[in-house]
Amino acid sequence: MDSEKTRKERTLSEDPERRPEVKRLQSRQPSPPVATGSEAQGITIEGLSAFYGSFKAVTDASMNIQANKVTALIGPSGCGKSTFLRCLNRMHEVIPGARAEGCVRLGDQDIYAKGSDPVKIRQRVGMVFQKPNPFSKSIYENVAWGARINGYRGNMDELVERSLRQAAIWDEVKDRLKESGMGLSGGQQQRLCIARTLAVEPEVILMDEPASALDPVSTQKIEDTMEELKKRYTVVIVTHNMQQAARISDYTGFFYIEHMGDPGRLWEFDATDKIFSNPERKETEDYVTGRFG
Amino acid sequence: MPRETFQHELDRLVGEIISLGREVEACLGMMVEAMEGHDAGVASRELGIDQRFKERGAEIDEECMILQARQAPVARDLRLIYTIQAVTNHLVRSGTLCEHICRAIAETADCERDPELETALLEMARGARDLFGQGLNVFEDRDIDRARDLEALDDKIDLLYSEAMNLVVNPTNSDGSPEWRMRAALTVHYLERIADHGVDVGGRTVFLVTGERMESAMRQYRERHLDDDED
Repeated sequence: MDSEKTRKERTLSEDPERRPEVKRLQSRQPSPPVATGSEAQGITIEGLSAFYGSFKAVTDASMNIQANKVTALIGPSGCGKSTFLRCLNRMHEVIPGARAEGCVRLGDQDIYAKGSDPVKIRQRVGMVFQKPNPFSKSIYENVAWGARINGYRGNMDELVERSLRQAAIWDEVKDRLKESGMGLSGGQQQRLCIARTLAVEPEVILMDEPASALDPVSTQKIEDTMEELKKRYTVVIVTHNMQQAARISDYTGFFYIEHMGDPGRLWEFDATDKIFSNPERKETEDYVTGRFG
Repeated sequence: MPRETFQHELDRLVGEIISLGREVEACLGMMVEAMEGHDAGVASRELGIDQRFKERGAEIDEECMILQARQAPVARDLRLIYTIQAVTNHLVRSGTLCEHICRAIAETADCERDPELETALLEMARGARDLFGQGLNVFEDRDIDRARDLEALDDKIDLLYSEAMNLVVNPTNSDGSPEWRMRAALTVHYLERIADHGVDVGGRTVFLVTGERMESAMRQYRERHLDDDED
């Protein structure tokens, strides 16, 4: 039966010749992450697959996410980028029926190991979402809240100021910390959410299209913020804006689905300079040049 | 196909550069004809053409800049625009050198020539014209396998360059007026540069297709063929 299919008809899993050369691609990846002098941690992902019930959304993804670098995940809608991202801090399993297989190591810790506490993992790996979602509390409380429930015992005023400064919004809100976070502009709200994430003192920050709902000026501020953030944290960002990926990231992973219904695959992972100048795979080149997707 | 307008603009630019290249190639053909026939008239007709080449080159350059600003090209599109700009420069420079040679032919038509040096000059001129044309073919057809042939042809031109320069410095006879001999020395240099531009057009094409620099691509090619030979 299989032999009757033409090469074009066969799916990737049926045709080894057409599957991404995982070994070769892995060899092009950066070395396994090593913790730097800062608190940032790298993440090593090996053979990660993600499911929604019986549906496999992502299959066999492996990459090394470097500490203190920005790694961008790009690809057409529905290819599993956000699912993959949510697997990096065990947010994926929050969805009923969703699960992940494979190995994700944050520094030396396998975050899917038996006994691993998802709450503690999410403390170490913070997340910023597509739509700004401040609490209907004061600006100050928005930042302090997460730290407080995590039992932070230091100087809260200092923590709030430091977090707001790192998120590049301190100068805009320092005189109205008691006002509601809901009264800020969209761009300011998103930076407030970044500050809220930073206040928990994570090692990695995941961002799922953090600027897609923002105007160009706010987007630029978020991008500038990321440049600063990577000095202290490891940043992983999902974006549909390829110029944004090219501007801000050090490494880029391209996710792709060849046929509708197939799981998403990490098709190519390399230095951003390489992906946007001379990618290895035709599908990557077609996508980044805007020929599909 | 998405980005049709952009693709159309890229195709049009490539068409423009090929057209410019063929004009320069035709100019080189007239240069060789003028050298062969000691024809000041033919050579004079090419004077002034350099300005037109430069203007067209500037137009292509400007269009490339606008495309970069408006379309934010990446990957193969970026390589193509980068290559178009580089190749345009090689074409315009070759056109300028061709006009210099035509001017020398026109202004020394009545001078006494050294036949031995003139033979070397003619052989170089034909070789440079052919090499330039082949470089342009490589670019037009994206035929990078033929790009390696350009280097072999250029080696021959370099050899002729050494011979001609030796004849300029150490003439074997007393023929050739000083003015002609001086212009011949410059012409030898210009021809060698034209040939280099032809090789570079091929090299740029290798980069366009593979993303690798010519030197690196050639090294890989040789290593691949060495492996084949061993097999």
